[in-house]
Amino acid sequence: MNGDCMEKTNHTLIVADAGPLIHLDELASLDVLSDYAGILVPDAVWIEVEHHRPRVLQQANVKLIRQPPPPSLSKINAIRTLYTLHHGEREALALCLIHSINMLITDDTAARLAAKTLNIKAHGTLGLLIRAIRQDLRTLSEVLALLYAIPQQTTLHIRPSLLNDVISQVKTEFS
Amino acid sequence: MNHTVQAEIPYQLWQEAQTLVQQGWACSLQDIINEALHRYIESHQEILTEAFIQEDVEWGLHGKD
Repeated sequence: MNGDCMEKTNHTLIVADAGPLIHLDELASLDVLSDYAGILVPDAVWIEVEHHRPRVLQQANVKLIRQPPPPSLSKINAIRTLYTLHHGEREALALCLIHSINMLITDDTAARLAAKTLNIKAHGTLGLLIRAIRQDLRTLSEVLALLYAIPQQTTLHIRPSLLNDVISQVKTEFS
Repeated sequence: MNHTVQAEIPYQLWQEAQTLVQQGWACSLQDIINEALHRYIESHQEILTEAFIQEDVEWGLHGKD
């Protein structure tokens, strides 16, 4: 592991879509978000997570901050139809713009594409799990076990051969 | 060639779609479902999803944040 990359404290605020919160919780791994200073959760996303996986919102080690619905933004309205964005995704992108937050966590391809259009960095469950190794939040073997568990333990859909490629890349990188 | 599928959708969604049809904004429920599927598939192309996952892995391994 490269020691230069290790950072125990991260003062970054990020915005969350429902996917990573739900998928990480399905893997009992929400703590990989514990080094972020705060995770803004749009109201629509909060309601969605509360409906599907209420225990996510009771985690003490992750700083989830519920946000009231943001005002309608023309930039978001302009792309909402193009990318078939859901309510929560629209609110999440709007929060990024309003608070000048340059990081959205989402597992939705269209939301990621929309984020790219708006110059917002977007990352998903896989990236967050792998990041946990370099942030020293999880060991390599723990993360590999979590990656292997994705098809059985989560509602995150990923082509099995691609997941195997990802696992191989992680093994090669850290071996 | 068409294919028939049976799917459950939330009642409110169905109601909103029916309203669009009744008010003349859409031809039929089937048209709405076809259009919705087209839009979803267009914005969730496999090549794009894979590219984002590769970006994610790269960030996970070598990112600075």
